[in-house]
Amino acid sequence: MNAVATNTPVPARTSGQLPLAGIRVVNFGWVWAGPVVGQTLAFLGAEVLKVESRQRLDMTRTLPPFAEGKPGPDRSLSNHACWAGNGSVALNLKEQEARDLAFDLIAHSDVVVENFGPGVMERLGFGYERLREVRPDVILFSMPAAGLYGPLEHVRTYGMSLTSLTGLDSLVGYKGGEPVPFENAFSDPLAGIFGAFAIITALNHRRNTGQGQHIDLSQQEAVMQLVAPAYMDYVLNGRVGGPKGNEHPLAAAAPHSVFPCRGDDRWISIAVRTDAEWAALVHAMGEPEWARAAAFATLQGRVAHIDALHRRLGEWTAQHDDRELAAQLQDHGVAAAPVLNVGDLLQDPQFAARNTFVEVDHPLGFRETIYGAYVKMSRSVPVVRPGPMLGQDNEHAFREVLGLGEERYRDLVERQIIY
Amino acid sequence: MNHAQGRGAEPSGAGRAGALTGIKVVDFGQMVSAPYCAKLFSDYGAEVVKVEPPHGDAARSIGPFPGDLPHREKSGLYFVNNTNKRGITCDVASTEGRELFLRLLRWADVLVENNLPRQMQAWGLTYPQLQQVNPGLVVISITPFGQTGPYAGWNGYDLNAFHLSGASSRYCGRPGEMPLEQGTFSADYYGAIAGAAWGLAAVYGRDLVGGGQQVDVSCAEAIAASFVGGQNIGLVAQEGRFDKRTGVGMPLGAPATIVPCKDGHVWMLALERGQWEGLCKVMGDPEWASLEIFNDMYVRAQNADIMYSFIQEWTAGHTKMEIMEKCQAAGCPITAVFTIAEAAEQPHLAARDYFVDIEHPDLGRVRNLGAPFKLPASPGGPVRPAPRLGQHNAEVYGELLGLGSGELASLRAGGII
Repeated sequence: MNAVATNTPVPARTSGQLPLAGIRVVNFGWVWAGPVVGQTLAFLGAEVLKVESRQRLDMTRTLPPFAEGKPGPDRSLSNHACWAGNGSVALNLKEQEARDLAFDLIAHSDVVVENFGPGVMERLGFGYERLREVRPDVILFSMPAAGLYGPLEHVRTYGMSLTSLTGLDSLVGYKGGEPVPFENAFSDPLAGIFGAFAIITALNHRRNTGQGQHIDLSQQEAVMQLVAPAYMDYVLNGRVGGPKGNEHPLAAAAPHSVFPCRGDDRWISIAVRTDAEWAALVHAMGEPEWARAAAFATLQGRVAHIDALHRRLGEWTAQHDDRELAAQLQDHGVAAAPVLNVGDLLQDPQFAARNTFVEVDHPLGFRETIYGAYVKMSRSVPVVRPGPMLGQDNEHAFREVLGLGEERYRDLVERQIIY
Repeated sequence: MNHAQGRGAEPSGAGRAGALTGIKVVDFGQMVSAPYCAKLFSDYGAEVVKVEPPHGDAARSIGPFPGDLPHREKSGLYFVNNTNKRGITCDVASTEGRELFLRLLRWADVLVENNLPRQMQAWGLTYPQLQQVNPGLVVISITPFGQTGPYAGWNGYDLNAFHLSGASSRYCGRPGEMPLEQGTFSADYYGAIAGAAWGLAAVYGRDLVGGGQQVDVSCAEAIAASFVGGQNIGLVAQEGRFDKRTGVGMPLGAPATIVPCKDGHVWMLALERGQWEGLCKVMGDPEWASLEIFNDMYVRAQNADIMYSFIQEWTAGHTKMEIMEKCQAAGCPITAVFTIAEAAEQPHLAARDYFVDIEHPDLGRVRNLGAPFKLPASPGGPVRPAPRLGQHNAEVYGELLGLGSGELASLRAGGII
């Protein structure tokens, strides 16, 4: 845990210090979005204790693939990546004594995170007003699908489909075609990172005023911020956008798409905004006759004839290797990059140079690859460890933070209160 | 709205101080990523000064414009991403302009920028140079690829970043056809939000860590790691196997995809037994649904073509809202695929005051997306319109940098501001 470092006296100017050191978070978050909130705060130095229980395992702990192919609640590779940074305390919240312990932890914490539906925390006995009784300046962060109140407050969605309520899904697809589903919950990590920002704003408010608060982050509203450009076209012109492939969202660049390259399912992305970039692309192609047509000389012309332009360009890119072509186009100043598949990520020189993915040792003795700090800071370098084993921070939380005696702690473990 | 009072100390919501009151930000960005990141600061109460080149943020020339008539004060993109900011112009390529910009950075806690690293270098505004001017400054740099690594010198836009992340190849598009971006600036927004979280933490903990620092956001990396990597990197590292897009919401369980209906589309989801039974009930318990080949989500996925054709026979006769309401009531997580218009007109969002009307000197009264999250004790969201080009030159250069009207006039004459 990073938190151990925060309890150690550190000289004020140590460059490795993390900016949220000293902040403690109790995270009731589960599955993906809530744990990403905890992860981001933890990468930034907070001590994050995820509350969970063997009594009801989080389903992401049981998701294959497993380390070394052996199933087990502490061996899910995706769980370890998505939850990295969070600590874990095991509490069977069905038991009153366990709930009391959770309250004690909250009394010693700054922030409580949850991603249940509206009302669930109240039913569990952890409503905001109750939390304030033990910690008057507590920051409670909630992130239900459509917010804590309103006609759709109890809407059922999956992370994957939540985007349908924002208008975003209506924009995804091939030009003029039907919406194509985005095949995973983009909104989960997005809203999770957004949530970390929301919590730090509330920490700043607490620092300014001494006040805590209950943050209501509607994932729908957070994700809908991404459709602002199309939303403005609706507001200003009554225009309702639809799928347009990879074309520029506001028709302000052409060419602007991905184009086939040599090999199976290899593609290159090329985006041309300015006339200078267009001239550079034409030059890189060896000034072919078609590219010198008057119709393509201006951005307006390129946008108006974009289908023909893309077809021509695609015929040229198809003869080339994606990486070589990207490098060659970049030499000319053209914004071009290979389209990576998942298998390329570990080999890509950019991600390799930035340690985007890191191999880490798991306490159970295997090595696994997860992602590290997905943003780089010049002074503060996060400690990256795999997602927690269930209950790995029990002793720290209950013995050190709450100060329970050895005997009492053992008893709670034996009676499966701490479980 | 009194623009002269436009600063962080002013209440940013319903008459209470914003959460980020006291934080001073310079936004030296264009288009989406840095401006949106800085907007997250300004909409929650920070004092944000936007610095534009004399010809303005590129978003001003991009629109969407009312009636598609270009006008630098009427861009919807500029309007939506620059609320609550004061705006000045400065030609940092000139010696005098650069000096003014650095003086402004001495005042600031945060600089948000999204210029290509080579451009910042050409201006003499690299992080080490800025650090010398103000060691406490937090510099949030948001670029497609990042400040380091072999692509740091590359030209790039949102499109290039998104497709480098693996997200499109894995999750977006039909097999054999090109992978897709999401039809908006997804990588820019993702990077902006990540930059806001990490950058705000860097300001919050600045004394603790001993000073300012550069927060280096690669939009491609943020998505490749926290979205694509989270679900896929363990498998590819351990077994060398990986998956690609299928064009179907969920290939291994069904129903779980977008299907057409009478007036558009719905996100059809009924995986668990109870959900499937709920859907069947809403469909009137058709005989086909009791066939063994539709027994659970896995066998339904194996027989997806037949199942989806049956389902679509039913959805074709019903509207998206009808389907959503009935299925939700029956315990199914099925939702309407809202068009932009439907999303914009949702009673739910209206009931939550998600939309705010803003008076703009050139656009008139315009509706805008409101705060992305609600902070009851310190409400956020857009209140003041995006600044006109150079609107606050006199105010900002005068009050913050102490320039007199004579100096301002000569800077104007010299094309610096």
